[in-house]
Amino acid sequence: MTTNGHTVLDEEIITCRDVHKWFGNFHALRGITTSVKKGEVVVIIGPSGSGKSTFIRTLNRLEQHQRGDIIVDGIELSNDVRNIDAIRRDVGMVFQSFNLFPHLTVMDNITLAPTKVRKLPAKEADDIAMELLERVGIPEQADKYPAQLSGGQQQRVAIARALAMQPNIMLFDEPTSALDPEMIKEVLEVMRELAASNMTILAVTHELGFAREVADRIVMFDEGIIVEDQAPDEFFNNPRHERVKHFLSQIL
Amino acid sequence: MAAETQTPTANVLPPPRTEVGVIGWMHANLFSSRLNSALTVVSGALLLLILWYGSRWIFGTADWTVVKTVGGLFLIGSYNTELACPGQNCFWRPQGSLLMVTALLGMIWGIMGGGVARRIAILTAVVAALFAFLPYSLERMGWDVRILLLANVPATAIGWALARYTPLGQAKWAVVWGVAAFLITLVLLRGVPNVPGLQPVSVVYWGGLTLNLLLAVGGISLSLPIGIALALGRRSNLPVVKLLCVAFIEIFRGVPLITLLFMSQTLVPLAFPEDFPQNSLFRAAVVITMFSSAYMAENIRGGLQALHPGQAEAARALGLPGWQTTMLISLPQAIRNVIPAIVGQFIALFKDTSLVYIIGMVDIVEMGRVFISRPEYLGSAREMFVFLAIVFWVFTYGMSYISRRIENHLGVGQR
Repeated sequence: MTTNGHTVLDEEIITCRDVHKWFGNFHALRGITTSVKKGEVVVIIGPSGSGKSTFIRTLNRLEQHQRGDIIVDGIELSNDVRNIDAIRRDVGMVFQSFNLFPHLTVMDNITLAPTKVRKLPAKEADDIAMELLERVGIPEQADKYPAQLSGGQQQRVAIARALAMQPNIMLFDEPTSALDPEMIKEVLEVMRELAASNMTILAVTHELGFAREVADRIVMFDEGIIVEDQAPDEFFNNPRHERVKHFLSQIL
Repeated sequence: MAAETQTPTANVLPPPRTEVGVIGWMHANLFSSRLNSALTVVSGALLLLILWYGSRWIFGTADWTVVKTVGGLFLIGSYNTELACPGQNCFWRPQGSLLMVTALLGMIWGIMGGGVARRIAILTAVVAALFAFLPYSLERMGWDVRILLLANVPATAIGWALARYTPLGQAKWAVVWGVAAFLITLVLLRGVPNVPGLQPVSVVYWGGLTLNLLLAVGGISLSLPIGIALALGRRSNLPVVKLLCVAFIEIFRGVPLITLLFMSQTLVPLAFPEDFPQNSLFRAAVVITMFSSAYMAENIRGGLQALHPGQAEAARALGLPGWQTTMLISLPQAIRNVIPAIVGQFIALFKDTSLVYIIGMVDIVEMGRVFISRPEYLGSAREMFVFLAIVFWVFTYGMSYISRRIENHLGVGQR
C-alpha cells in the first residue's frame, strides 16, 4: 500500500492495549488502545496536558505505564531491563529541547551510542555519523559543539544522533516547537525525507501542514484518551467529534 | 512622509569616541557619573597610600632576619636534623621527591604542548634550582644537595622529552607517574628498615611546606573521587546506600576540622585492624580527606542537580545503560559546571593542612610560630606572618589560575 510517497506494510510494529498511566493521583493516560504499522507515519495532536507526549514516552519507557500492554517491534515492555534496553536501541527519539550533549562535539554526540551500546569500531561509527550528517545537510558542522549551532541545526543533529542507532521506529516529541519559523522548515524537510525512506514515525507536532502532507493517520488526544484517529483528509475535512472541530478552529 | 529605504550596510558608522579605546574605557568604567568619579579618586588615593607605606615597610622598616634564619626549615621542617636522621644526611630524600615532581610537571608540559602547563613547569624548575643558591639553616647542607636542587632543571627537560619523543606522552601515563611519584615519595621519606641510606624517619619529624603539600596532594586527589562516589550515593535509589552517604556527609560536614583532628588520634585506630601500621600523620590525612570529601560531595551533587533532566533522558533513550549515562553524560557536565566550587574546596583543604599543628606536627606555619616565640625574634611576628601569607597565596593563586584556564579551555558559560 503506498500513500503520501512512502510504503506502509501490513505488519504491526507497535501495539498498545488499554494503556493506563498515573502521575500520583493524576490519571494521565486513560486506556489507550491503538497500533502502528511498519512504515506508517502517525501524527499525534491534542491540547497541552492531553497525554500525547506522555503516550509516546511510554513507548520507550521514559515513562512507565501502570496498566495494559505495549508491544514494540515484537518485544513486550515490562520491568525486564533487558527488554527496555532492547527497545531503546530499536526506537530513536527526538525531543523538543534537542537534548544534545553540550560537552561533546556534534560527531561525538552521534557516535557515542553506536560505539558504547552497539560496540561499533570508532572508524565505522564515524563513517555512519558522517553519512547521517550529510543526510541531514550539515556535514561541515561535524567538529563543532552544539552551542555553536542554530536551533534548527541542533535538532537535525539530534535526528542524526537517533538515526545512528539504526532504529526501526522514530519518535518525535514536538520537534519544532522550540524553533524559529525559518528553522522549522529545515527540520520538517528532514522528517519528510525520513518518512519517504519508509521509516515508522510517531510525531507529536502542531505542524498541521506536515501532518496533512505526510501522515497516514492523525490521532488526536484529549484528557488522556484518543478522541479521533483518521486519515488526514477525513480529519481535516470531516471531523467527527465536536472536540476536534473546536481544537482545529483554535489552531488554524 | 514614508521613511527613506536604505541598504542594510548604509548605516554602519564607526562607534563614538566614548565607546572604544582608553578614553572610552575610562569614561565608561571610572568616570561615568559624579559619584563614580569620586569613588575612583578616593580608591586611587587609598591604593597609592597602601603601596607607598607597604613598600616602605617591606623594603625599609621590616627586619627579615627571622625568615632568612628559618630558611630551609620552612621547606622540610626538622626532617634532616640529627634527631630525625641520626648519623646520615637525609636531605636528598625530599629532594629526590622534588625531582620526581619537576619531572612530572615537565611530562605534563610535554603532553599539553605548552600554555599554562609550560609556565608552571618552568617556574617550578627555576625556583627549585634557585634554592641551591639560598642560605640554609639546615645542618649538613653541602654542595652535593645543592647539585640535587640544580638537577630540577634537567629533570623537567627529561620529563618533557619523555612525553614528546616516547609513547609515554599520554595523559594516562602522567597519572600513573603522578601516583607512583606520590607513593615513592612516601616510602622515600618514611625510609625502609635495614636498607642503607634509607633509615626510617618518624613522621613526627616530617614538617614544613613538604608536610602541607603532602597532605594537600593526598587529600585533593582522594577527596574528588570519594566526593563523586558520595554524591552519586546520595542520589541513589537504594535507601541503605543513600542513608549511609547522607550520614557520612552530614557528620563530617557538621563537625569542625579541629575537632575531627583531635578525634582522629583516638577514633581512626578503631576503623582499622589492630596490626595496621598507623601514625599520627596517617590519621590526620584520613580525617582531612574525609572532611574535604563531604564538602566535595555536596559541590558535585549541586552540579548534578543543575543538569537538565533531558540530558539523562536523551542518553537513556539512546539505549545507554544507567552507569554509562552517569559516567559519560551526567558527571562530566556536572563537574564542569562546578569547577569553581571544586577548586575552592581544594584551596580550603590546602589552607586547612596547617591545622595539623594541633596534633603536634610542625607544618610551615607552626615552624614559623616556633621561631617567633624565641626571645631573639620576639618582635618579628609581623614579618613572619606576612611571609607565610605570601607562600600560601602563591600556591592558592596558582590553583585558581589553573582552574580559570581549565574553565576557559572547556568553554564553560558559552553554551
